[in-house]
Amino acid sequence: MENLSAENSLRLIAETIERSRKSIAKNSGKPLILWGCLDTITAIIIWALWSCTGSPQWNLLWFAMTVIGGIGTYFMVRNNEKVPETEVSRILGRIWLWFGIFSIGMILLVLIVAVVCTAFDIPAHIHINSGPIIMVLLGLCGTISGVVMKMKAVIASSVISTAICLIYISVIPEDSPAQVLVFAILGIFILIIPGILLQKKSR
Amino acid sequence: MNDMNFIPLDPLLHSELRLAVMSILLDVPEADFVYLKAQTGATSGNLSVQIDKLQQAGYIEVSKGFKGKMPQTLCQITDKGRDAFAAYVNALRSYIK
Repeated sequence: MENLSAENSLRLIAETIERSRKSIAKNSGKPLILWGCLDTITAIIIWALWSCTGSPQWNLLWFAMTVIGGIGTYFMVRNNEKVPETEVSRILGRIWLWFGIFSIGMILLVLIVAVVCTAFDIPAHIHINSGPIIMVLLGLCGTISGVVMKMKAVIASSVISTAICLIYISVIPEDSPAQVLVFAILGIFILIIPGILLQKKSR
Repeated sequence: MNDMNFIPLDPLLHSELRLAVMSILLDVPEADFVYLKAQTGATSGNLSVQIDKLQQAGYIEVSKGFKGKMPQTLCQITDKGRDAFAAYVNALRSYIK
């Protein structure tokens, strides 16, 4: 049996677990920061182009953002130190993956319905504006992420920014380019700030 | 304190490297050999031997496969290993009371 004292054994256990946890958490905030920056920059670009040209078709840039984000995430994960997946990282990954799938799927569905209704002259009785729905989903996913990470600041940031954005989009016209700015605000408060907090926590 | 109050320590866990491996595996669903090597700072040969001992005791499960084209050895703590680790920590506490 090795000459390990009881105190040294307990210290070794605590230090090993702490070191492993820090190593796993080291890069966990980076994807949130990447997607937050992309979301904020894309929202500002769309707002600027939509305002200048009056064409809401610039919203198609969201699809380009998804592709850029997907490629960026792939290279980020590939270049990072390989670490095991924890329950928390697994749940967070699934939450944001399904947010992405649901949002893109919903936008595509709304677009297809609009195209079909226009092509076959079918009257659309309900106009679905996907923006506010995605905004609430983003707020919900941010809040759940905060709960999973046990970070009250993230929960507060998500809930408060979503509430403020809901009030904001309620008081400006639905077809105004300014609507898209809520995604810049949410990108900062739901993705970038929590990502930075997560990075700081892991140091 | 009387010697009779001391709980015997599990000799399999009372080793620096094996204890470090078990501590890491306790906290994650599974970890690969490369990660364990980086975290413990052990040599590949020594780590292989210690992992083998833990596996033979039924404290961990080892599965070998491939990730892409690279071979990968994944280690996972078993319920028996978890119980043994808890008993070991309880035993340690009896020494420092």
